This record gives sequence, C-alpha cells and structure tokens, in this order.
Amino acid sequence: MALLNPIYTDREVMLDEVITLGEEIVESRNLEVLRENANLNGESFSGKMSKFGSEYAKWYAEHFVMPKRLVQSIKDNIVYVHDLDQYAIGTTNCIFIPFDKLLREGFNTGNGSVRPPNSIMTAMALVAIIFQSQQNSQYGGVSANKIDFDLAPYVRKTFSKNLIKGLEYFEEGDLDSTNVGEISMSRSDLQELYPKAFKFATKETKSETLQAAESLIHNLNTMSSRAGGQIPFTSINYGTDTSPEGQLVIDSLLTATMRGLGNGETPIFPIQIFKCKQGVNQAPDEPNYSLFLKAAECSAKRLYPNFANLDAPLNLMYYKAGDPDTEFATMGCRTRVLSDRFGRNHLSGKGNLSFNTMNLVKLGLEHGIVLGQRKVADERGFYRELDLYLDIALEGLLHRFNIQKAQKAKASDFMMREGVWEGGEHLHPEEPVGDLLKHGSLSIGFIGLAECMKAMYGKHHGEDSNVYNKAYELISYMRNYCDRQSERHNLNITLFATPAEGLSGKFTKRDKATYGAIAGVTDREYYTNSFHIPVYYSISAAKKIELESAFHGLCNAGAISYIELNGNARSNPAAFLQIIQYALSQQVSYFSINHPIDRCSACGFEGIIGATCPSCNSHENDVHIRRLRRVTGYLTGDYQTRFNAAKQAEVRDRLKHNT
Amino acid sequence: MNICGYYPESINEGEGLRASIFISGCRHFCKGCFSPATWNFNYGDPFTKEREAEIIDDIKNNPLLSGLTILGGDPFFSAAEVSAFIDRLRQQVGPISIWIYSGYTFEEITENPESPEYELLRRCQVLVDGRFVEELRDPSLRYCGSSNQRLIDITQSLILGKVSIWQPTFSF
Repeated sequence: MALLNPIYTDREVMLDEVITLGEEIVESRNLEVLRENANLNGESFSGKMSKFGSEYAKWYAEHFVMPKRLVQSIKDNIVYVHDLDQYAIGTTNCIFIPFDKLLREGFNTGNGSVRPPNSIMTAMALVAIIFQSQQNSQYGGVSANKIDFDLAPYVRKTFSKNLIKGLEYFEEGDLDSTNVGEISMSRSDLQELYPKAFKFATKETKSETLQAAESLIHNLNTMSSRAGGQIPFTSINYGTDTSPEGQLVIDSLLTATMRGLGNGETPIFPIQIFKCKQGVNQAPDEPNYSLFLKAAECSAKRLYPNFANLDAPLNLMYYKAGDPDTEFATMGCRTRVLSDRFGRNHLSGKGNLSFNTMNLVKLGLEHGIVLGQRKVADERGFYRELDLYLDIALEGLLHRFNIQKAQKAKASDFMMREGVWEGGEHLHPEEPVGDLLKHGSLSIGFIGLAECMKAMYGKHHGEDSNVYNKAYELISYMRNYCDRQSERHNLNITLFATPAEGLSGKFTKRDKATYGAIAGVTDREYYTNSFHIPVYYSISAAKKIELESAFHGLCNAGAISYIELNGNARSNPAAFLQIIQYALSQQVSYFSINHPIDRCSACGFEGIIGATCPSCNSHENDVHIRRLRRVTGYLTGDYQTRFNAAKQAEVRDRLKHNT
Repeated sequence: MNICGYYPESINEGEGLRASIFISGCRHFCKGCFSPATWNFNYGDPFTKEREAEIIDDIKNNPLLSGLTILGGDPFFSAAEVSAFIDRLRQQVGPISIWIYSGYTFEEITENPESPEYELLRRCQVLVDGRFVEELRDPSLRYCGSSNQRLIDITQSLILGKVSIWQPTFSF
C-alpha cells in the first residue's frame, strides 16, 4: 500500500504550527495536551515550561530528524512513537538500578561524592537520592528490581551497631571482634550469649528500619524534581529475600505503605511489586508466606503492591536460585527486560531504550468486515499492511537507537559515570555510549487488539473462541516478527503490551474522525489497552484471567492483567488472596487488582464513598472526596482532575467483577 | 418466586468471591432499609427454570467462586422454594458453601424444627441474622449493616444448640 500523506514543507504552514503550539500552552487552551500525562500538572508554570520544550522538540523531530516513512505512518495514525520529545536528543527510556553496587561503593551525583552508608536510615535516604539522580538521565521509569536484597546489608550494619551498644548498656560482655564473624539477626549463638543486648538490638533495628521505610516513601512522594512538578517514576520490587534483614526491609516497606503519608493518604509512588515465587512465599510453610499475606493486605488497602509471577514460564526460564538479579521484576507500569542476546542475563544495569506502538484497530478497520465493504475479513491484506508498518516501526526504533548510541557519556552523566547502566563507568565523558546500549531492549508495542478483532470479524476475542484464536495468532505473528528481527539485527527486539496512557484516546479520536463512530470499535473515547478484554465487557474474573494469560507469554517486553473489583476489598481478604493466587496459577506474568479508594477530606474515612460519606454524611458537593484510581499501572492523585478525557472515560466504563 | 438481583461475582456479601442472588419479598419492613422496593414479592423477575439453569451454569463454570450468597428481600419468606433451588444446585455443582441473610434471628428460625424455614437454614453454612436497626447502623461492619446483626456458623450452632459466631478463615 502506498503511504497516505505527503509531508508538507511550506514555511508559512510550519510557522503557523510553531505559533499555535506556543499559544495553546501559554493559554492552557488544549487540555488534552496539558493532561497527556496524569503525573504532570500541565497547567502549572513549570509544567508549561516543560510542555514548551517537549512540544517543540516533537515538532522538530518530525520535521527534521525522523525517517520520512515513520513520520508518514504517524500521520496515517498507525504507528505511534512514544516520548517523541526525546527522540532527537537520544535519551533512553527505563532502567533497573544496581542499588547494591551504588550503595556498596558510594557514588557521585556530580556535585560531590557520597560515602557508602553505615545504617539502614542513611541507605534508604540514599536510595531516594539515587532514584532522583538517575531520573534526570533518562525519561521513563526508574526501578529497584530487588530492593530487599540491596538493603539487607544496611539493616545488618544497623543491627551490629545496636548490638555493640546493647552490650555496653547491659554490661553483658565484649564481643571478641577477631572471632565473632559477621554479626546478623540470624545469629542464634549471639542471642544465647547476650540475650538482653540481642533483644535490645533487634527492637532498635526494627524501629529504625520502619522509620527509614517511612521516610523513603515520603521522599519518593514529595521530591518534585521532574519538570512540571512531577516526582520520579519510581518502582520497587521485593519479596524473595528470606534473611531476617531482608524480611525486615519488606515488612517495614509494607507497614509504612499501609500507614500512608502525612494524613494517612495512599502513596502514589513508588509503584511496589511483590515478587511471588513457589518455595519462597506462596504456601503457609514457606519462609516469606506471611509477607505475601501482608502484601495482599497492603494491596487491598493501597492498590500496591502488584504481583510479579516468578514461576510464569517466560520468567522462570531465566531464574537462577541464589541470584536475585535473575528474578523477574518490572520497571514501572509493566516494562520488562531479562534475556539479553549478549549473555547479560540479569536485570540490573540495563533497561528499555524506546518503543513504538502499532494501532491495530486502524488496520482492522481497513481490512475487516465492520465497514460493510466485504463479507469476509481480508486477512492477507491485513497482514501485508501489518508487515509494512512493523517494518516502519522497527526502522524508527533502529534509527533512534543510532541517535542514542551516538550520545556522549556525559549526556547521561550520572547513569554512565556511576555505572548505573552497566559498563558506563568505563567510558570517558566525551566518548559515545555506543555499543553499551545494545544490552537494552527495543520494543514494538500494540494497542486495541479487542477493537481490531471487532473491526475484522464483528466480535472481539472475549466474545468468541474462533476470534480468540485469530487474536492469539496475530500477537504470535508480531512476536515472531520481533524474534526474527532480533536475529537479523543482532539486537534485543521485543514485543510490548503497551500501557498507552497518553495514547489511549489519540488513535481513537482520529480514527473516529475518519470512519465515524462504529459500535464496539470507535464509539468510545479510548481503545482497549494492549490485549486486554474490554473493561466494559461482562465476563467473570476467572475467565478474563484465563483469556489474557496466554498473551503474557508472548509479550516479552512486558504486560499486565487487571481485575476490577467494586466493593471494599479491605474487608474481604479471602477473595483478594484467592484472585491473586488464581492469576498466578494461570501463568499470568504480572497481575494486579483494581478497586476504588475514596477518601473523605472532612473525616478522613477511606473506602468506597458514593455521593455522601458513609462515616460523617458529608456530601461531595460540600467537601472534597478524593477518588483514587489506577491508570496504566501508575496511580495518580484524584483521577477526575488529573486524568485525560480518554482515561476518565475508561474508568467510568470499567465493568466491575461484582455488584 | 421472583428474584430482584443477581451478581455472578461479588466481594460484598460474604467471605471470598461469591455469587449473590436477591430473592424478592420481605415483611420485616425495617426502618432505613437500603432497598424497600424489594419488600414487594412481585418485584424483579420470575425465577424461571431457564434463569435458574443459567445461574447454576455460571456457578459451575467459575473456578474462583467460594460459594453462593442468598439475600433479599428475605429468602426465608420463600423458604421452601429456596431450599428446592439449593438442592438442585448441589445436585449439579456438588458441595458448595452457602451464606444466607435474614431479618429473622437464629433463635426465631430454629424455634420449630419442622418448619420450612428450619429446613432452609439447615442447608446453609453461614447466617447473617437480625433486622436492620437504623440506630445501630455502622458502615465499617463486615458483611452486614447494623451492629445487632450476627454472622453465625450454622453447622456449629445446630450441633451446640446455641449461637456460635462465624470466624473468618483468613483475616488481615
């Protein structure tokens, strides 16, 4: 098929565009632009400043940098380039930070060097600083893939200090420092020898670790260091360290999260991910089972943590017992890197470089039966065109990768100098980052599988098992394409179940303008997330899990499944736990339960609030009811003020799996 | 018998994920009732064989369900019919936990062991009992509306001959 739109170069038109871009931002005229990202307050000064930069950077990239075919495919509304504002300057997307190394060796933020911490309090404070420093070297999520393991040594140091202090207070004797070995909370011999000091040290260490966790969570919700008053997009993964120190880290993070922020509010960041592993935390006799229960409790109260399934085949194949850096984790909403064709088969020190998303719906509309132009879907035409646009999407990723590779180490200063990206520490500041980036992933994403199927065959993949098979074939086809191109280009090219926050309404709006409102396809304000069964479709939780789980195995750049619950999840722990374990048993790789959390600003009641607060009877017209919902994986503040229109509509349409 | 509500999955009416059926008709007329429309025995739709089959099918095919909850109205005003439904359900699905709500207290229902109400009770595992008392309304209560209402372990209570309060199998 020929490409549709010529690229205009008329200088008058270009000038008009630039002026309009500026005016819309200055006058807060285009709320969709300003609310594209729910975490950025686009109506604030710094938000506008950032929008100026990013809108113009996008315009520049499209007119002067990107391959023509790619620009045209954007105009065709089939390919979407995420974080286009970062394209021309070669920034990278997300990363797993090697906290263990940075804390052990100390680091330099650019203005001064920081010594390795000697206590859990300092270690957790430094975690926040590392997150913040790294966030400024990239544009996507910053993640700790095994924070329990990373922080356990500092709990040990704190314990050791407290034990020595206790020995002095209680005059229980002196440690023979030459023979004592490593002091830790698991040393029952020391507990027997020095019962009082040991008890004291344990108690003090618990209290310090909890305080440290509270301050970490407060820090990560308050350090507005990204443009537009955004806080860093942080994620922390934990759950599998079975040492008493690691367990204490996990326990304290969960307790602090449940306690909430200053007035008990639900923390928005960090995203927390509990890593589930059979033999470690999935059955009552396993060492971290009680922490898994606590994680479920926390999730029922606070929406986090989400649950990562280390036993899903796609993750288990890389898992090496005893090496927590091989445990599946996520970098925020769902992104995943694990395998690496260059043998770096661990998570930390690398991440995703960029991704381009395919609008499957438009291809479906062009070749399906829904427009009434044919009786049977034109599958050959569909796949022929899919191939063309996959090639264009890939061409864009490779083109961008070359720009990224050409950047000097000093451009992502902290990331390279400190070896946050593994190997960066060996580069001279003037040296291009080059081949080091090949360990990251380039991903092709997709959105609207459900609407695509509806357009092709008249039903979506939740409605009909034949259509389901077609849907599965399509996504398998895309995965095979990625695998083939990985071989061909010798790069980590992966398939991504795009979260599409800003994108959810953009494709739809333009397709609706082209084709009109077609029932089940373009008649809503958004397209369904990746391979999900539509949120408005009535289906049992178990069935939704079963249908979606197969797609997790295909999406090696990351995917998530959600179940929506209406009702107070906090009061029914059994249901909550049952659903999580069912999803894990069905090989869902990454899972979470959405349920509404409302908060009455008059009395502080948290739970489900209709028009009036069940606790103090205040009406929503008189007092502010803060309504927290999840979008794409991140929480935001009140969804009614922060979400863009498409995502607000999606939340309204979500069909709850009960009531 | 009419039903005036059916949720294939709910977390609000008993422990775990449960199917919930609301049976029309109630003569307790509690002040402040959250759905007085359901007092009317003709409210909702007739519980036809087809509807019943659909619901049984739903329950049979949902591996995540912990059981069924029957509420209303008050199912005890249609005790014989509800019992018959439970029997047919168990024939097809096997043993399944049933929670039931009533404005009657446990003591009232068990007064006469020959009654259809007693027969219905005997078929269920947990009873949420007692009328709704507006003055005792408490939104923080689990699975019930006012603090006089009790969650009763039926099997245990029938063995002991006195009310034994149900304990959650899992609690945060």
